[in-house]
Amino acid sequence: MAMSEDPPKGKRLPLYDESALPYEHPLYKTLLSVPGLSVAVAPLDMILQWGMTNALWIFPMATSCCGIELMAAAASRVDLDRMGTIVRATPRQADVMVVAGTITVKMAPRVKRLWDQMPEPKWCIAMGSCAISGDFYRDLYSVIPGIDTVLPVDVYIPGCPPNPEGLMHGLMRLQEKVKLAREGGLPTREENPALLDLTRPSVMRFKDPARDPSVTLAQEEAALHATAQDSSDERPVDGPAVTFAPAEARAPDVDGEFEAILAGEFGVTELPKDAPPIVEAARHVELARRLRAAGYRQLVLVAATHYPEKTGAKAQAERFEVTYGLRTIGARSRVALWRVCLAPGESVDTLVGVYAGADWQEREQFDLLGVTFAGHPDLRRLMLSGDWQGHPLRKDYPADKACAPWR
Amino acid sequence: MEMTEATLTMQSAKRGRVDPHRSMRAYDADADLMLLHFGPQHPSTHGVFRMDLHLDGEIIVKATPYVGYLHRAVEKLCERLTYVQQTPVVDKNDYVSPMTNEQALTMAFEKLLGVEVPRRARWMRTLFAELQRVASHLLWLGTFALDLGGALGGGSTLFLHCFRERELILDLFEEVTGARFHYNTHLIGGNRHDLPAGFAAKVHSALAIVESRIAEYEVLSLNNGIFQMRSRGVGVLDGELALELGVTGPNLRASGVDHDLRRDAPYGAYDELAVNVVTAQGGDCYARTQVRFGELRESIRLARAAIDGMPEGPICGHKPIRQPGQAKATSGQVYVGIETPRGELGTFVIGGGDTPTCPYRLKIRPPSLHALSALPYILPGATVSDAVAILGSLDPIMGEADR
Repeated sequence: MAMSEDPPKGKRLPLYDESALPYEHPLYKTLLSVPGLSVAVAPLDMILQWGMTNALWIFPMATSCCGIELMAAAASRVDLDRMGTIVRATPRQADVMVVAGTITVKMAPRVKRLWDQMPEPKWCIAMGSCAISGDFYRDLYSVIPGIDTVLPVDVYIPGCPPNPEGLMHGLMRLQEKVKLAREGGLPTREENPALLDLTRPSVMRFKDPARDPSVTLAQEEAALHATAQDSSDERPVDGPAVTFAPAEARAPDVDGEFEAILAGEFGVTELPKDAPPIVEAARHVELARRLRAAGYRQLVLVAATHYPEKTGAKAQAERFEVTYGLRTIGARSRVALWRVCLAPGESVDTLVGVYAGADWQEREQFDLLGVTFAGHPDLRRLMLSGDWQGHPLRKDYPADKACAPWR
Repeated sequence: MEMTEATLTMQSAKRGRVDPHRSMRAYDADADLMLLHFGPQHPSTHGVFRMDLHLDGEIIVKATPYVGYLHRAVEKLCERLTYVQQTPVVDKNDYVSPMTNEQALTMAFEKLLGVEVPRRARWMRTLFAELQRVASHLLWLGTFALDLGGALGGGSTLFLHCFRERELILDLFEEVTGARFHYNTHLIGGNRHDLPAGFAAKVHSALAIVESRIAEYEVLSLNNGIFQMRSRGVGVLDGELALELGVTGPNLRASGVDHDLRRDAPYGAYDELAVNVVTAQGGDCYARTQVRFGELRESIRLARAAIDGMPEGPICGHKPIRQPGQAKATSGQVYVGIETPRGELGTFVIGGGDTPTCPYRLKIRPPSLHALSALPYILPGATVSDAVAILGSLDPIMGEADR
């Protein structure tokens, strides 16, 4: 068959549609030609239907809140087990995928892959409004608007999250549907009997252009590229060695010491009333080191903010602000906040050498706002996949900017 | 003795801190290391979390965590919503303790907008937060028992039991707010729902049941030989490193650091209720379990004190802030951190911008993300089976870590 040929080297496989491949099970015609076989297997079919209806094993695609309610449904009070429904954490042993929770752009290809690993016949339940439509995350850059853009859904259970009883009701509706489908009451998804159709996928492929005519091939290719490159791009790169500052003895708790340090050693006397003081970018690592020695042992906040051109409120040198927050440990805990202002393209020195916890916090701000931290040992994206275009928390990044092909 | 990568890693983990940024090229090329992908869909990842584990035999020599599989753009969403619309959004961040999420956000907004909260509302929030802490720690205990697998009677015994008790707490919340899960009961400047009649008796009877059962579970788990073998000395997190990484909450206190924002930077009714801070010294999975058991008892005590001492009076201002026009800020930058069941949940808000009814920037500091950032330091030297126990003992919630 066409599939067995090796693709030419150096060329990407064309987008394929397996449903177009001619395939028939070798025993199919023989079985059809046996006289009376269909009558003979009818009782078997009834047994199969009975078993199938009462042993719907769940594969929990539990990503967020609804997953907790799914656990609660499987636990003591509601007890899904009495319906013959048990939770199997592997797709190969499950019949029903319960998509419980928000599916993000980064997660959707994984969900699709897990769905493809489930054996036929299989069903899908969209549990909760995120899985149904994306809920209020629907228009945002990183969430897909409902799991039915990726795979076919049999039962929708509304709610945010649905109660465990709601999930149970959904499963009972699914049982009815399975029964009806086996009895011919519902149109089956395939023309051939499901048991004999061994290779044809029940749904069009995720990357199949025939799925949505408004999506161009180039967009599909881009999306394919985006998901395929995801993990390989995330490999750590070599960076400068990190030195860890030794632990200093804790200073006694004094109120106003932060302001005193700022005024005395860093020359910052102007303290704005409704915002943290501004510290020179060149000296802020020194300030952090000094405060750490003074008892501020935890870095609690690294938050960058973007002030775009059009608001006009800020000068060119203040397009980005990075706010840092430190906290003292123990009785009468205090927080010290300061700001560093940056022009576009400027970078601020990393705090990884002072606080190891700055590592992920600075990566997150780099990811979402594009602020670069000079000297960071491993400055990669944290939340979004490696090849994401743009920095979504910038003010000029549209809130509903499409990245995924289904947008 | 042959120095394999596994023995080298175990020795260096004993000697001092592991360098999480060490390049793979620095490892022995002939060591035959195996790369194991763990997650993002795995029953023990507590949501969608992925790690790349480099193994020498059974020993982890390098762990690289990846987050962001549940990145729901909450911060971008909050910039588009008005101040009064945001409690339902942050409910979904840490979906195991929505009450404390709402509390952190509304407290930040109240500080930014300069809104006073009546005393009864502060006490009610404290009651809810402590009840929520009980529910959250119970859920953690049940799932941690699942993570440890066969250690506790096939694994799911404690899970089923803990969920039974958790339902009692959720019933209380359902009676107050009408919702089992995402309550939306905090308003800026007060609460939305008052306590129903006869609520105190119900709280007391539920807490009595929970308290007696917790004593059973403590004996079942902490005194269990298999449980101790699976958790003692596993995933030791040094207190110094925990502080530097920003690890907070029970994970920090299990490393011997006496720090709890309820006592050290009191908010709500905690300045009137004396909070005993639970600490343990081991820094391992066992110590984290000990601390959470201690906190369960302490939270039950605090919840009782809160419901007994509940003051009379209004639960919100004369004119509740429910309309967008009532909450406006033209400037200001505030940071508020509170102690949730997982640690310090901070909210940083910048007011002003084009629309005074919306925050210009909102940054949430999730405790789970900081707990997860300790993994590359504490996993090397452990075995693969310990990886699940260590991850579970940190109690991460991915909805909050990824937002």
